[in-house]
Amino acid sequence: MTHTNDPTPPPVPAPEPTPQPEPRLEPLPDRIDIRNLFEALLRRPADLAGHPSIDTPATLGRLAIMAFVAILVFGFVLGTFAYHEQLWAAPLKLGVGLIFAGLICFPSFYIFSCLAGSTASAGRLASLLGATLALAGLLLLGFAPAVWIFTQGTSSFGFMGTLSIGSWLVALGFAFRFATTALKVQGARQRGPIAIWCVIFLLVTLQLTTSLRPILGRSDRLLTDEKKFFLQHWSETAGKSLTECRETPGDE
Amino acid sequence: MRDLLDPPIQTLARAGARDLGRAAVVTAMGFALYGFTVGFWRSPVMGLYVAVKMPLLIACTLGCNGLLNGMLGLLLGSDLGFRQSLQALLSAFAISALVLGSIAPVTFFLALNAPPPDSPQATTAHAGYLLSHTTLIAIAGCIGLLRLRRLLEQHCRTRRIALATLGAWIAGNAFIGAQFSWILRPFFGSPRLEVAFLRDHPMRGSFYEAVWASLNRLLFDSVPGLPGFLVLLLILGGLFYWMHLRLNQPRHTRP
Repeated sequence: MTHTNDPTPPPVPAPEPTPQPEPRLEPLPDRIDIRNLFEALLRRPADLAGHPSIDTPATLGRLAIMAFVAILVFGFVLGTFAYHEQLWAAPLKLGVGLIFAGLICFPSFYIFSCLAGSTASAGRLASLLGATLALAGLLLLGFAPAVWIFTQGTSSFGFMGTLSIGSWLVALGFAFRFATTALKVQGARQRGPIAIWCVIFLLVTLQLTTSLRPILGRSDRLLTDEKKFFLQHWSETAGKSLTECRETPGDE
Repeated sequence: MRDLLDPPIQTLARAGARDLGRAAVVTAMGFALYGFTVGFWRSPVMGLYVAVKMPLLIACTLGCNGLLNGMLGLLLGSDLGFRQSLQALLSAFAISALVLGSIAPVTFFLALNAPPPDSPQATTAHAGYLLSHTTLIAIAGCIGLLRLRRLLEQHCRTRRIALATLGAWIAGNAFIGAQFSWILRPFFGSPRLEVAFLRDHPMRGSFYEAVWASLNRLLFDSVPGLPGFLVLLLILGGLFYWMHLRLNQPRHTRP
């Protein structure tokens, strides 16, 4: 046992910096207005999820308005890529698409949150879903100026599509984090069911980019009845540009 | 000056109009001074143009990403509001501006001594000039970021939050900053092109498409499927790195 006679003492590990405690914040007011909602979504997701008035129709309405207005603005920014009818068509499609995705995914949100252990009522879950979408919308608003810069520069569908989907994925990532935190506050103990629901919602929104096409490019029709899976549509249009689309209307 | 080079934590907590104004003025002056020496080699007029454009580049980047930076700061748990995020980023830019402003006399000397743009060695001189300025800007940027990292580590509850916030800010600002540098080009002024404040149709095209096209021309023309394969490799690498980080996270056990 030579190591016991070794005179050099073992190196002392550097002490881990002690994490600072969370700052104490004032409780949210009883009546949550848009400004408080905005701050709570970004700064205090757990407080918002546990707030007694989160499941009131007024709060749900405010959250829905936030999500809808934010997505309309982002849609308008995307519409400036092709201008013309897309200035109103793209925001309309994104707004309707978001509501549609929220509505068709709400039943599964309820079931999967119950599977995860949540005890929240359907009304409360509706508000939490509204808050999730509002947060995603707010983040898209944050991305909007940067995306607009690129809509004015490029004419490539591949580039604009990647940028838009990338922004949506980042926004949705934070929104899902909010939903997970909110459901934990409501008693959820398992992550698996929540993760599955997140994947379902993500796939629905990605498919909507194809079902509601064209969102970026121009066409002589508002919607198309041709059925396609989103990966196929993306791979077909990635190499095209806006100028090609103008030459062959209805193609994109 | 020392407060700007090593901003105390109180500056961030306060983020008053005076602090913001001082950081903004120093950033503008430092970059303007340095920018003048960057463009001066091509012509004194170009120097004046770049002296305006460099602070403009910072202002456009921070202005465009202001909302996003503030939201990311809050969402990632750094507890930094919109003003504080702006203060933190401006502090980093102010440090870089001070570094670059302090070496502006040296780069001015370099511009005076480099072979002029109408000489036979202009192309070589331009390449060397480009390389040296890019190196200097990168060094100044790194110093600013290291100070910002320290500031965030002092302010945030955990080191992880500080690094996540810093990473998100760097990614967002670098992404849009590169595009603004494309829009506001030229900065160095190619000897073959006319001196101009902006190129014709400055908004046309994007930085990333230009880089992609150059890469294609340089490397991939002979192997058609290579760009897609490399992108796939990059995505997979990122995924593995993320999984590696997740797996190495310390697990918290419930009592």
